[in-house]
Amino acid sequence: MKDVMGIIYTGENDARLRELTIIRAIAALPVAGRFRVIDFLVSSMVNGGMKNIGVIMQKNYHSLMDHLGSGKEWDLHGKTNGLHILPPFLTRENVGLYPGVLDGLRSNTDYLNRSKQELVVLSNSNIIYNAHFKDMIAFYENTGADITLMYTKDPTMKRDEFGTYISLDEEGNVKDIEVEPTHPNYENTFMQVCLMKREFLKELVDKAVAHGLHDLARDLLLKLVQEKQAKVNAFEYTGVCWNIDSVQSYFKFNMDILKPEIRKRLFIDELPVFTKVRDEMPAFYSAESHSINSLVADGCQIEGKIENSVLFRGVRVAPNAHVKNCIIMQDGQVQEGAYIENCILDKQTVIKKNTKLIGPEAYPIVIAKNVVI
Amino acid sequence: MLRKKTCIAMLLAGGQGSRLGILTKNVAKPAVPYGGKYRIIDFPLSNCTNSGIDTVGVLTQYQPLELNAYIGSGAPWDLDISNGGVFVLPPYQKGKSGEWYRGTANAIYQNMAFIEQYHPDYVLILSGDHIYKMDYNAMLDYHISHGADATIAVREVPWEEASRFGIMNTDPDGKIVEFEEKPQNPKSNKASMGVYIFTWEKLRHYLTEDEADKNSSNDFGKNIIPNMLRDKQVLVAYDFNGYWKDVGTIESLWEANMDLIDNPMPMNMHDKKWRIYSKNPGMPPHYISEGAVVTDTLITEGCEVYGKVNHSVLFAGVVVEEGADIEYSVVMPGSIIKRGAIVRRSIVAENATVGAGSIIGEDSGNIAVIGQGVTLPAGVSVPSGTQVDESYTF
Repeated sequence: MKDVMGIIYTGENDARLRELTIIRAIAALPVAGRFRVIDFLVSSMVNGGMKNIGVIMQKNYHSLMDHLGSGKEWDLHGKTNGLHILPPFLTRENVGLYPGVLDGLRSNTDYLNRSKQELVVLSNSNIIYNAHFKDMIAFYENTGADITLMYTKDPTMKRDEFGTYISLDEEGNVKDIEVEPTHPNYENTFMQVCLMKREFLKELVDKAVAHGLHDLARDLLLKLVQEKQAKVNAFEYTGVCWNIDSVQSYFKFNMDILKPEIRKRLFIDELPVFTKVRDEMPAFYSAESHSINSLVADGCQIEGKIENSVLFRGVRVAPNAHVKNCIIMQDGQVQEGAYIENCILDKQTVIKKNTKLIGPEAYPIVIAKNVVI
Repeated sequence: MLRKKTCIAMLLAGGQGSRLGILTKNVAKPAVPYGGKYRIIDFPLSNCTNSGIDTVGVLTQYQPLELNAYIGSGAPWDLDISNGGVFVLPPYQKGKSGEWYRGTANAIYQNMAFIEQYHPDYVLILSGDHIYKMDYNAMLDYHISHGADATIAVREVPWEEASRFGIMNTDPDGKIVEFEEKPQNPKSNKASMGVYIFTWEKLRHYLTEDEADKNSSNDFGKNIIPNMLRDKQVLVAYDFNGYWKDVGTIESLWEANMDLIDNPMPMNMHDKKWRIYSKNPGMPPHYISEGAVVTDTLITEGCEVYGKVNHSVLFAGVVVEEGADIEYSVVMPGSIIKRGAIVRRSIVAENATVGAGSIIGEDSGNIAVIGQGVTLPAGVSVPSGTQVDESYTF
């Protein structure tokens, strides 16, 4: 098997996630009751045999560092390789904020040099997926490409100006790339994941940054394809995926995984998703509680009514409280007689007795961390 | 050379636990699942970590594979450290001889070399038989401040049950004057919890003396403690008043699980300062479906509930299909309760399947047990008190 490393870039634009990303990167956003967005990527990479994973940090990265720790939960705490947290730093070329992935990679040339793997998978951190990377690596090897992109035909991923789309010829080679078009012409969404040789990536990054380029797809991949400077092909990901870049898409992802058939496609037996554990006791449902169509994590105490909701670890729903179509993050509390609907409660929020809070379905209310209402 | 430790723990995990029937057919008792996401051994190990004791020897002998795999590097309990940590200690060949552990005292005797590596002042002896949260450090302080040679944790039990336990008769200062193993007419109701702290020098002496005595049963309760009393050593009783439950029988294991559903819980499991750690299977949160009815129940990660569950404990990855109905039961990791099956007052062990429409257990009577990995056909019934393993025929 080929020796492959992974690099995750976590500097995406998060303006449309409002309060949820004020205190954290998208990668550190809590999802699905006990995970963070990045857990899916790191676990996929580890399950695909990668033992050296670098995470390029950008802003508000404290929460992400805290979550990843030594990488122990993903078995990435070995002596050789392991998890490498790559925070931004001041250099001659760089003053902290990376304008794009290419700048982030350029700043970490040393890490790329030091790594010994032949191939590298580069991924953004705002798309949730659970891929068989071994298949993608085999595809890359068998087709003799310089760069293999990962794409999906999933129509829900086609989100106009918030996506990048590719067209392919009969052999699966990339013919064209459209970056954030208002009216996309292609059905294939590029998942911001690509695979190439480490040496090749180093060369590309060095040249690109020297020419003032920042964005991977628009500035680099498009040019390579148009000028036929490299063989760029694409591997189809047929699993489920979600782009987490707005409050609505965040809400939709959590509601989607309430469906057993979708959950089965994301949480695959042979590709387990690891996360930091908190050692909470199992969830408790009282005799008077009433729960339907919900995902509930350990440490929850349910004494009221919950429906169509995702409850993270340690959430308490008091008697006669009613929670409908909500996402409640870690240690949230809904007190007696309160009613909340279409709300996203960030960590440690408290909804006091008899409070009513109803958001419109299309625009859920977001309650920021530690807020008491 | 290893750095000196003030106190290290030795956990006796070699017993078969035969009173747990088919539940300990393939696993040692300390590895038996409990409370939705734990195994019995998580309690003493977590107590050690929370008490600041970071070196633990686990003495295994019976069916150790699953226990060894579970303990692994000790990471779940923060015991994967370089100076100390958790060590699995099976019996091993020494020179030309080699033998099994003959008794609790002999098991420690055979591992004296392990203990000596750390030059401890004190040794804490534990067993893997009980569910409790206890600060061993507070007990150690008590041992030191009382100038004791041995301190035995005791718990008051109902007088009518006292004759089932090892009973400590103490003077008004808490000094032990007499030890009686299962006395017919108990003079005290202070029962030994099987948790001992010894000043290591003294214990080493008595272990060596006991080993030389060919008639000894090499047991702490029967030999070491009485010998120390005979020699007028200072033995004190340390009172423990918290929740403490023996899970040595099928009925008591079932009861201990049911205790966790009591509201309020007899033992606070939400205390962030005294967490009980366990190995995490890495599953998504559990799912309660549209048509499910869940009341008075503990459920952990990875479960999918489509049926009805009342007053029960579901472990990781359990599936309760539509129309299945579970009451007053314990369903261990990975088991599937098929459509329309009825489960009453039962323990379903790991990775078992209860076939569609089957009836397991009854509303009263003894607990029914379905063994590890057993697949029950559809439409069978298992009366109360029955234990079903692979060889059971309907």
